[in-house]
Amino acid sequence: MFKKFFLCVLILFLIWLFHPSSICAKTIKVLAQFPMSGPVGSLPEFGWGFIDGMNYINGKGGVNGKPITYFVEDMRYSPTVEVANFTRYAAAEKKDELLIASGYITGALKPLIEKVNKEERIPWLDGSYSTEIFGPEGGPTKYPYYYSLGATYGDQMRVLLNWIKDDSKGKGKVAIVYSPTEWGRDPLEMTRAHAKKIGLQIVAEEEYAFTATDATPQITNVRKAKANYVFYHGYSGAAPYTAIFMKTAKQYLKNVTILGTHYTTGHYPILIAGKAVDGMVGACCRPQVDEMDNPMVKMAHDFAAKYNRKDGIKDMFLYMEGLTYALIFHEALTRADNAGELTRAGVKKALDNMVWDYHGLFGGRAFSYKSHTIPMVRIYKCHVEKEVEKGGRKIGVGTWKPVSPWINTELELK
Amino acid sequence: MADLIQTLGAGILIGCVYGILGLGIVIIFKASEAFNFAIGEFLVVGSFLFYIFFFDFHLPLMVALPLGLIAAGGMGALIERLSIKPLLGRSALSMTIITLGLASVLRASVQFIFGAHSYSFFIELPDFTLEFGNVLFPSERVWAALLSLLTFLALLFFLFRTRWGVAIRAISESQAKALAFGIDARFLMLLVWAASSMCIAVAGIMISNFGALSYLTGIVGLRAIPVVLIGGMDSIGGALIGGLIVGLCEALIGSYVEPLGLVGFKDVAPYILLLIVLFIRPYGLWGTVRIERI
Repeated sequence: MFKKFFLCVLILFLIWLFHPSSICAKTIKVLAQFPMSGPVGSLPEFGWGFIDGMNYINGKGGVNGKPITYFVEDMRYSPTVEVANFTRYAAAEKKDELLIASGYITGALKPLIEKVNKEERIPWLDGSYSTEIFGPEGGPTKYPYYYSLGATYGDQMRVLLNWIKDDSKGKGKVAIVYSPTEWGRDPLEMTRAHAKKIGLQIVAEEEYAFTATDATPQITNVRKAKANYVFYHGYSGAAPYTAIFMKTAKQYLKNVTILGTHYTTGHYPILIAGKAVDGMVGACCRPQVDEMDNPMVKMAHDFAAKYNRKDGIKDMFLYMEGLTYALIFHEALTRADNAGELTRAGVKKALDNMVWDYHGLFGGRAFSYKSHTIPMVRIYKCHVEKEVEKGGRKIGVGTWKPVSPWINTELELK
Repeated sequence: MADLIQTLGAGILIGCVYGILGLGIVIIFKASEAFNFAIGEFLVVGSFLFYIFFFDFHLPLMVALPLGLIAAGGMGALIERLSIKPLLGRSALSMTIITLGLASVLRASVQFIFGAHSYSFFIELPDFTLEFGNVLFPSERVWAALLSLLTFLALLFFLFRTRWGVAIRAISESQAKALAFGIDARFLMLLVWAASSMCIAVAGIMISNFGALSYLTGIVGLRAIPVVLIGGMDSIGGALIGGLIVGLCEALIGSYVEPLGLVGFKDVAPYILLLIVLFIRPYGLWGTVRIERI
């Protein structure tokens, strides 16, 4: 009896020992940080998108059968918090397990240069599109482990300047209103240089703080300078200061086009500022959330329905943003695993060699990640049809319509 | 010239709102010598209470505004009962420190209840836009200044023409003497916190109407610090004038100094002005000069 029992246990042990999954099983851990509170995040959708994406990926078997353990942190739009979070995880997790990490603020990239690129050598994907880090002065040779999930702010501004040149027939007078942050100041130099190169005049540069209660001084200066195109850069479209700026600009600046970069070219400015954002033009690194013919947008909506997020989501744009992080993590890890190198170096190699259409995110166009940026930008124009009463309050109803095809800045800005 | 009028006008209009914000601090300081550091959070909670009546319950503005302000006053009174009253008789410093903790609790509560996103905020008031030539003052700014001045006058009436107002002024002179005369200081403190909360809520509603409302709107509360320190911590008139000075300072620096290359100076300028004022008049421009035996 005992002999039989012993044999059974032995067989079970040998099956467990030599089962392919237990031989190959490798713990995969990833860290994602999003601004889910604080002065620009203000929304939990980022995190929801990422969590739902990861649950979906794990439900489908993770990375070739290996589940991904994911950590999500709210970095509160603070470089200090982001650096502290990463330092904590880097100390607690093994280097061969924590394979990829992400952040979301330009200000944290600099203090993390040594830690990420030399000490930890971990692929770091960031929501910052910093020109200084990812542009000609930085890039893969200087920061080999940093990757951005969009075109640099400098490139976004260059695309918009080209649009201004066409729209104004070369006569545009440009003003720049930017936040007094690294994010806000990041593309200024490149914008000045490109404007000069294509013959546009920058007539005013104004700082407008997140703490502002009044945008009148900045807008008066812009009006004095007789600008007819005003960049509004370095801000979240979901925060009260954006509504203050847009409402004030609408009243003071007649026949002036406001232009925004990625994080102001979304649905939220329409919700909080209504008709004040009608006619705004923006450069965006993602499709708009009502472009349902885009497979990635459709996927985001399906995910939100599947995971019962629909009622809680105020801005689908940000939910989709979280989801894109989960999907690119998965893609990079899977490619590394397929190459038999599921390590930090292997993930880096997979990212460097990646040529991908990102589940159809850019209308079927593929991008190469060689430059460590996703160099795809599209220009949109905001159309606010009306303001309606919803839930007792007036909100804007409108959409952003594309006014350009997807532009690969690496190929087309040269 | 038009630019200067535009700048001065914009500064005065926002200055009136800052003045009413400062008043919220001054009346508490006068009654208890405590500084309310939770002013930003009071502003947000007061605005959300109005928001509920106006936007969620669909009440007309003329009903929602008084109800919102009464609710804000009730909130102030409740907070006073729970956190300030137990400290009566202790030093003003302990009350001040309590307000720091209160700020954290209120901020977290607002995020928990209302979330961290912005709420669209459009109050449709009769159009008072002032426009002549190149000068333009948007309607909501004009309304903000008017409502702030009205609140200021209402508070003056309350303090100088009602029995409770006289009693509040008495306890602000000397709490011990007022108690000796049979004045119910505990009840009056409750009244002071309620009145202060209402003033702050008026400012919050007007500021939210400039843009949108979120828990981040509370950052505006920081503007009250230079306002009251410049005007004088215990001067009601000083709060209004301090507000106007800060509003004008921000507008003038923003329009004339920042374009010279000193970007961002607008936010620092009121504090530099504050330092200058404090060097010359340590109790503020209209504050009571106190001589204490050391």
